[in-house]
Amino acid sequence: MYDYLIIGAGISGTLIARELSRFEARIIVVDKENDVGNHATLANSAIVHSGHDPVPGTLKAKLAVQGNRLYHVLQKELDIPLRKTGAFLLVQHQEEIPGLERLHRRALANGVETPALLDAQTAKAREPMIQEGTLAALDLPSTMVTYPWEVAIAAMENAMKNGASLRLNYEVKAITKMEDGFLLESTEGSRLRSKVVINAAGTFADRIAAMVERDVPYRITPRRGEYYVLDKAVDGFVKRVLYPLPGKNGKGVLVVPQVHGNILLGPTSDYQDDKENVANHAADIEKIRRDADKLAKDIPYDKTIRTFAGVRASSTYEDFYIEPSKEVPGFYHVAGIDSPGLTAAPAIAKYVADTLLDIGKHYPRKSDFDPFRTKTRAFRSLSDEEQRLKIAENPRYARIVCKCERVTAAEVVEAIKGPLGNDTLKGLKKRIRAGSGLCQGGYCESEVLSLISEVTGKRPDEIDYYRKNTPILKQETKVGR
Amino acid sequence: MTWDIVVIGAGAGGLSAALAAQDDHVKVLVLEREAVLGGILNQCIHNGFGLHEFEEDLTGPEYAERFIDAFHERGIDLRLETTVMGLHETRNGFVVEAFDRRAGKLDIQTRAVILSSGCYERTRGQIRIPGERPAGVMPAGSAQRYLNIEGYLVGKEVFILGSGDIGLIMARRMTLEGATVKGIAEIMPYSNGLTRNIAQCLEDFDIPLYLSHTVTDIRGADRLEGITIEAVDEDFRVIEGTKKDFAVDCLLLSVGLIPDTMVLESLDVKMHPHTRGPKVDHTFHTSVEGLFACGNALHVHDLVDDVSEESRRAGRCAKDYVRKSLGKGETQLELIAGEGIAYTVPSTIDLSRFDDLIRCAFRVKRKAQTATFKLIQDDTVIASRKARFVAPAEMEHIDIGPDDLKGGHAPVTLIMEV
Amino acid sequence: MVHEFTCIVCPVGCRLRVDKGGEVSGHKCKRGIVYATEETTHPTRMLTTTVKVNSRVAKRLSVRTSRPIPKAAMFDVMQALATVEARVPVNIHDVIIHNVAGTDVDIIATRRLAT
Repeated sequence: MYDYLIIGAGISGTLIARELSRFEARIIVVDKENDVGNHATLANSAIVHSGHDPVPGTLKAKLAVQGNRLYHVLQKELDIPLRKTGAFLLVQHQEEIPGLERLHRRALANGVETPALLDAQTAKAREPMIQEGTLAALDLPSTMVTYPWEVAIAAMENAMKNGASLRLNYEVKAITKMEDGFLLESTEGSRLRSKVVINAAGTFADRIAAMVERDVPYRITPRRGEYYVLDKAVDGFVKRVLYPLPGKNGKGVLVVPQVHGNILLGPTSDYQDDKENVANHAADIEKIRRDADKLAKDIPYDKTIRTFAGVRASSTYEDFYIEPSKEVPGFYHVAGIDSPGLTAAPAIAKYVADTLLDIGKHYPRKSDFDPFRTKTRAFRSLSDEEQRLKIAENPRYARIVCKCERVTAAEVVEAIKGPLGNDTLKGLKKRIRAGSGLCQGGYCESEVLSLISEVTGKRPDEIDYYRKNTPILKQETKVGR
Repeated sequence: MTWDIVVIGAGAGGLSAALAAQDDHVKVLVLEREAVLGGILNQCIHNGFGLHEFEEDLTGPEYAERFIDAFHERGIDLRLETTVMGLHETRNGFVVEAFDRRAGKLDIQTRAVILSSGCYERTRGQIRIPGERPAGVMPAGSAQRYLNIEGYLVGKEVFILGSGDIGLIMARRMTLEGATVKGIAEIMPYSNGLTRNIAQCLEDFDIPLYLSHTVTDIRGADRLEGITIEAVDEDFRVIEGTKKDFAVDCLLLSVGLIPDTMVLESLDVKMHPHTRGPKVDHTFHTSVEGLFACGNALHVHDLVDDVSEESRRAGRCAKDYVRKSLGKGETQLELIAGEGIAYTVPSTIDLSRFDDLIRCAFRVKRKAQTATFKLIQDDTVIASRKARFVAPAEMEHIDIGPDDLKGGHAPVTLIMEV
Repeated sequence: MVHEFTCIVCPVGCRLRVDKGGEVSGHKCKRGIVYATEETTHPTRMLTTTVKVNSRVAKRLSVRTSRPIPKAAMFDVMQALATVEARVPVNIHDVIIHNVAGTDVDIIATRRLAT
């Protein structure tokens, strides 16, 4: 019997688990995927917004501004990458000026740090690649970017270090209310019991809620966002996140420098029924280009290495829906976490622990809670001397597997075996960036595959690309057919 | 220890360059990331190599063995399983930052470097094919490695985008190994592959070739389930109502190769916008003193014989550079790709070392039955050559000698007249 | 039966037709007639493929037929190779199988694998 069971190992679920693990309670996170952070956390803009955008007084406004500040704490404690880029919100037409001024006032009302209106010349002097014809800018210096997958991995690792459990490949099929809590059953028939259930299931939150409630107070309306990724060779093309004036479909297409030097262009925003389909569409690929060109000039599209899409867990409820169930005591919703969900996530976690669950009332604080996660530093970021020491320790550091991102064989092996290890190509790409570069794995994939095979004992054709049943290889030849 | 020349990569280009560069007075070291010599030739197990170089029809590995034998006979120094991660200029050459699987991190001093690191394949992301992103979509060369070296088919029901020779060769290989190839789509109105490959890789196995078609959708949440192709007009715009669906578990991409110049990142090398390799003069000297480039790392070739021939010249030029201390000349005559020409290699001619005929490689922009190539300086035709059956996929050459120059240092433009 | 195929003798790539009586059409030169006749009477192909090998550097050894084999025999030869395993060391042009699938042609290695 667990005290708290969290459904969904995305950025919200993992950070909630970490927050709860500060207390003497038994905690478990379950997810239907074979890795943490595989849905909205995997595919988004990676921005820690200033909090300028949400309507003052909403949970979104409050938690976004708090979340932004909490990222500085997470950086120290979890050693997550954070790049303090700042942002410009740009307008090109006179009729957009009132909108810009309204956002400035909203940013001030939300408590954003030092937002400022800039004229075109000042903006241009600080960000030379902004489009000709820019009229004015809203400077949002507290805007940052992070690496969302790593935040989720770090949060889960730290929660596990403090006693929380994780069950991957656990797809919830049924939830039954019992006298002392809930009984969960997975599609594979595995049962788990918990006093409290927290529904952080992203786009599936309404479906999970319907297993418990008769009238679910919201419906998830998935919104697909498509992106381009430019190679890290473009690092420095723009220093800041560039936003247009938001429209009725959200923040619009942005230009976003990433922590590793890549640049993201996107997202689009389209409603779709499917909760998981992350296909790219020709029309959206065109739209991104059209819209991004309004913000910056001479965007190096020839450096595109990838397009992708993600699905946001938007809901029919305008704000985040973080509430206890009105029908079933002990069941809690953390739903409708769309933008600025990544930004707000650390604050959502605190809000859930302290306000929603009031956990301190039920369980004592752990005296030995360890907030720190020590990350193995990437080999590429070490000094010459440190690299030589590492190689002396383990000769496999001298074998470069991924040339684009300078990833060594030793790091591949460690990422497979690590505390939150993973043996899929995508899982390793998320952890150590093997295959994230210019050649998108063309150079290193077969070597990574043979390392996975060596460490896990799996045959090469049993190794998955990302989810279950996604092998790269179909069939061995010459097996005497 | 200081080397005279370090050669990066021991494929067709590196082997040939090293053989030409090394002698009793010039110390050459070859660095190769794989455990064996020969580079990509080892996975190109089909025949059709060596018709120019040896006047024989060899398979890729056989072609490589000829050079490997010569390489070992000459006792050229070699480090296998060694990956070069950076080049740093020093006062009299370079430090090559390399990782040797056994010896660890090495800082190798050398006076000159020949970059012969080959190329990598364009990926799905670079050409932005819409659709889902399931497993089972991969570059044809990766699939070739899995099949011919590792012994795995990447799919049983296959579609191929791009009708270049790699795509055609893989269609036959996968068919022979028991897969069903349902078709090849080519966005151009003609195939970029050799006629012989169209006949022996597609017609022999009744594999349909869809010209002026491209892949417009990819389906499958896990493993690839299907694709859609559509016809395109002359401007490559999709023509409505031409959709064809194929149920396949594998889509191979044969959509182009790009020189691998990643190790040049820390140097200020002038790059060629079209070839995406470094710009070189006629001695294969890049804009950085002492750095030479050849093979597919310089520009992508269609025949390995051309790589060997070109790299041999690059090797000799690098040898002259270290033996005779021939620095880059002051006067570089510009060679311009004019009407109908996509690019030329070299980009410039170093006039201080222009004492013999040089062979200029280039590609045309359009296919033509007959064409005349003209070198023009100061509005005067200084050399010309007629050719039949020219196509962008087939590299052309034209010779130019010092006596041809009539206009001093004025740039020379190469054009194609149809 | 009418055969139709592309001529591979030169880059022109004529579309050749050979009718029931062996009459060739579609060719632009005499070499096309020779090729067309060969293709319809006894078409042959060089087969390049791989066999299993116990090497450290490659799981498959590249091989070819020692000379062209009848086109129709290609899949029979592939079948015969499905169960063969070569042992290192292999030298280039070592015979891996004599008289493969009754074709009177050998399968030979096209690369050297020492270990």
